Amino acid sequence: MEPTEIAVPAPRVAAPLAAQRQPIFRREDIRPTLKNPSANAREFFFTRAIYNGGGRRWGAWATDFPKADRQFLTILDRLIDLDAYEMENAIQLDDPAVRRFPFLYALEVGNMYMTEAEVKGLREYLLAGGFLMIDDFWGTYEWQNFEAEIKRVLPEYQIVDLPLNHPIFNTVYNIEEIVQVPSIGNAQGGPTWERDGYEAQVKGIFDETGRLMVVINWNTDIGDAWEWAESPYYPLRYSTYAIEITVNIIVYAMSH
Amino acid sequence: MFESLFKFLFKYRPIIFDEGSLAFRPTTATFVAAVVVVAIGVVTFQTYQRVRANTRPLDRAVLTGVRLTILAVLLLCLFRPVLVLSQVVAQQNFLGVLIDDSRSMAIADRDGESRADFVTQQFGGEESPLLTALADRFALRLFSFSSATNRITSVDDLAFDGTRTHLGQALTRAHEELAGVPLSGMVVVSDGADNADVELSDALVPLEAAGVPVFTVGLGREEYSRDIQLSRVDTPRSVLKGAALVVDVLLTQNGYAGETVSVQVEDEGRIVADQEVTLPADGEPATVRVRFTASDAGARLFSFRVAPRPDEMVTQNNERNALVVVEDTREKILYFEGEPRWELKFIGRAVEDDENLQVARLQRTAENKFMRIGVEDAEDLIGGFPRTREELFKYRAIILGSIEANYFTPDQLRMIADFVSERGGSLLMLGGQRSYAEGGYAGTPVADVLPVLLNPTAGDGEDGFFIETDVRPTRAGATHPATQIAETEEASGARWLELPPITLVNRITDVKPGATRLLESGDGSFVVLAFQRYGAGKALAFPIQDSWMWQMHADIAVDDQTHETLWRRLLRWMVDGVPDQVVADLPTDQTELDEPLSLRAEVDDANYEEINNSQVSAWITDPDDELFEVPMDWTADRDGEYASSFVPRKEGLYEVRMEATSDGELLGSDTAYIRVAPSDSEYYDSTMQASLLERVAEETGGRFYTTDTVDSLVDDIQTVGGGVTVVEERDLWDMPVFLFLFLALVLGEWGYRRSRGLA
Repeated sequence: MEPTEIAVPAPRVAAPLAAQRQPIFRREDIRPTLKNPSANAREFFFTRAIYNGGGRRWGAWATDFPKADRQFLTILDRLIDLDAYEMENAIQLDDPAVRRFPFLYALEVGNMYMTEAEVKGLREYLLAGGFLMIDDFWGTYEWQNFEAEIKRVLPEYQIVDLPLNHPIFNTVYNIEEIVQVPSIGNAQGGPTWERDGYEAQVKGIFDETGRLMVVINWNTDIGDAWEWAESPYYPLRYSTYAIEITVNIIVYAMSH
Repeated sequence: MFESLFKFLFKYRPIIFDEGSLAFRPTTATFVAAVVVVAIGVVTFQTYQRVRANTRPLDRAVLTGVRLTILAVLLLCLFRPVLVLSQVVAQQNFLGVLIDDSRSMAIADRDGESRADFVTQQFGGEESPLLTALADRFALRLFSFSSATNRITSVDDLAFDGTRTHLGQALTRAHEELAGVPLSGMVVVSDGADNADVELSDALVPLEAAGVPVFTVGLGREEYSRDIQLSRVDTPRSVLKGAALVVDVLLTQNGYAGETVSVQVEDEGRIVADQEVTLPADGEPATVRVRFTASDAGARLFSFRVAPRPDEMVTQNNERNALVVVEDTREKILYFEGEPRWELKFIGRAVEDDENLQVARLQRTAENKFMRIGVEDAEDLIGGFPRTREELFKYRAIILGSIEANYFTPDQLRMIADFVSERGGSLLMLGGQRSYAEGGYAGTPVADVLPVLLNPTAGDGEDGFFIETDVRPTRAGATHPATQIAETEEASGARWLELPPITLVNRITDVKPGATRLLESGDGSFVVLAFQRYGAGKALAFPIQDSWMWQMHADIAVDDQTHETLWRRLLRWMVDGVPDQVVADLPTDQTELDEPLSLRAEVDDANYEEINNSQVSAWITDPDDELFEVPMDWTADRDGEYASSFVPRKEGLYEVRMEATSDGELLGSDTAYIRVAPSDSEYYDSTMQASLLERVAEETGGRFYTTDTVDSLVDDIQTVGGGVTVVEERDLWDMPVFLFLFLALVLGEWGYRRSRGLA
């Protein structure tokens, strides 16, 4: 079982990541880490779902990849006491190894067109106990596409709004409002929305026992906020919210 | 055979020689005759000395010796040897006859006749030989004995329906009743299947001191030719509702070796288990492991039985009952994780549907930041891991995840160890970067509790050890209730081998002496699950970090229940038998009407330290729902132990709730149940216990008889017995053995002469 990088079929992005690899503060600076040198021994992998869909370059799934992932993991390591693998980890939904990673992140799902094998893989993954976080899709059209796709996966479960008193909003950080996180292009001023996605919403899909299987961040681009968190031109308010809600979602997924 | 030959040669039975002392009764004529014999002897000797014709010195010596021996025998007879005996005077003495009145006497193992039939034949009426012979010489006092001992006037008063045999009590009672009269001894007619709890020697020592011999007559066979017996059934007194019970049933048999029978378990009318077993060789015990689920709450009576075979000699010993209290409580378990981990999610999920387990999950997400799931209220565990014994000891089990030892204060580490050793709770440590030696536990009180040896080379996670391995059950694990992940033992063993691999980051290779390894890595080199008893509780090591793979792995079907079953059984086994502050203890689950029952309670305060000044009461609800209170007092023998007793006056189920208060505050309560019904114990191990009856006879100076040797009983009592006796002398000179010796010597001399040509 090789759980990590091999699952990425695409060539690595040669982005200048030196800054992300050497953050000013690492957790080890504050208290000693207990990380096992073997990647396979790690508890948490920030895992991207590779799915069939449209999009530029390698596909919609790889938007912001892998800078957003690495940058988020660097921050995550400083914030909470989680034994997380430091690098990105992407895996196809129809790969049986996906079950090794009970947390999945998928974005740009407005352009998602899953194969039958992917639908089956994701369905079994979610029913077995896996958790899916959806991000970065905007407006009615993309919603409709995502809704149609997720109905193929979980036809028997409804998508419902998550109220602010749901534990996911205060698992680690207390989140008092749902913020629309704009992409880097819209963060400098002007409207924060894209297409007709004026209001950010957080929705969920629960199984019959009340377990949250899917959390859907609609009309928001949390991934961009991780990717540009270090940029002096990206407002702190958005990146703070993006990081806080993701930390909450991960901790919630790992405990409920 | 030996005895008749002895009597033929020596005129009397060996017992007469045992009891009598040898003496000589010569008269004046004896001395005259003796002088004559000596004179003949001298003449004989001299004659042989002189004769030389044709003889060798050896011939002369032999012939002289034979002659002199003949004369010595004559001389011995002339001195009139006698045995001096004290004999019981007829009709001057009393004899206690104690007859077993228990159910086992009705067993027909004497060629179709029951043991009771012998009693009727020998003691039944005027014509009965033994009764008549005894009555001729003694004043008889008859007693019946089973649970109680009673005077009876004739054996017609016997019903053979006693549910117990209390032999010691019967001897003491009869001895007391016959004190003050001249007593020759006591006769016990019984199969010897004594099942009293008291030591028999307590009754025998006074009898021996008073010189009252007990003559025992053993009835029945020492071994049945065809019988199956459920010798023992070990069930827990109480279990959680829904618990999967694994019960060992010990079976013994004679005459059915190699046959297959089935052991059935019935839960108040419903068959809940049916386990086939091939019977072992005669006399060898077989252990049958039966599994069933305790699905209904309350005090449940489980019956274990093997269907009687058509030609079985005793069928009543094919069944045993066990009263098991099936608790419908919610047992609290504290699971503490030092970091967000998937185990927390999946263990929580595995047991969330189990109404009898409440797993309070405390997870550290960042320094001094905790997440609480499944807690009782908003205040519960708000400050992190409990800091007082009282707060910690309200749980029955603790699971420690990946949490470094440094997180805890020395007091907290000591408290966790005391949780196991003093409070009697269970501790389980999961694997992880911050568990075991890698988490800095070496040298802490918690390391003492753990059943495994910590890796001495690991230093705070720098070891970098990591392996992925399959898991297999050990021999103990294949049958242990905590590791049963399928319906049958075989299916469970096979399922373990199918499960996907898991990973280990703690290098744990050895268990401590006395600990049990239940699961190990596929190559046997690493411990995966082990446990040991430590003080009052138990400690488990489960050093894997991703048992959730048994739920999530692609090889596991989405609806597979293996992971859920494992964690439910494991956690249920952990909380099973963990005591409360008050523990009600009854010596047994069944007693008889009017038999005093001792009540015992162990009482601890909230810190689980024994408390001697609390007010303890037993609230007893009888089968007619009448409630009464029995106050209990501190025994002064042991700290925290309170005792009392009560006598059940009705048949049926009694509920005994023991409740303790201190300074007006309730410390706790515990409920036990007892069934009041006639006991079946008479039918178990009901063969004649010759060794016990022999011991009674030997220690008191009496004799043991079987139905074949009982004829000599009356004469023996007369010889051995006490009471009013006279001294009697019995001649020995006319013993046939002297005549035979005389003849043998004379004929021997003649034969020797013939062979040597000297005649």
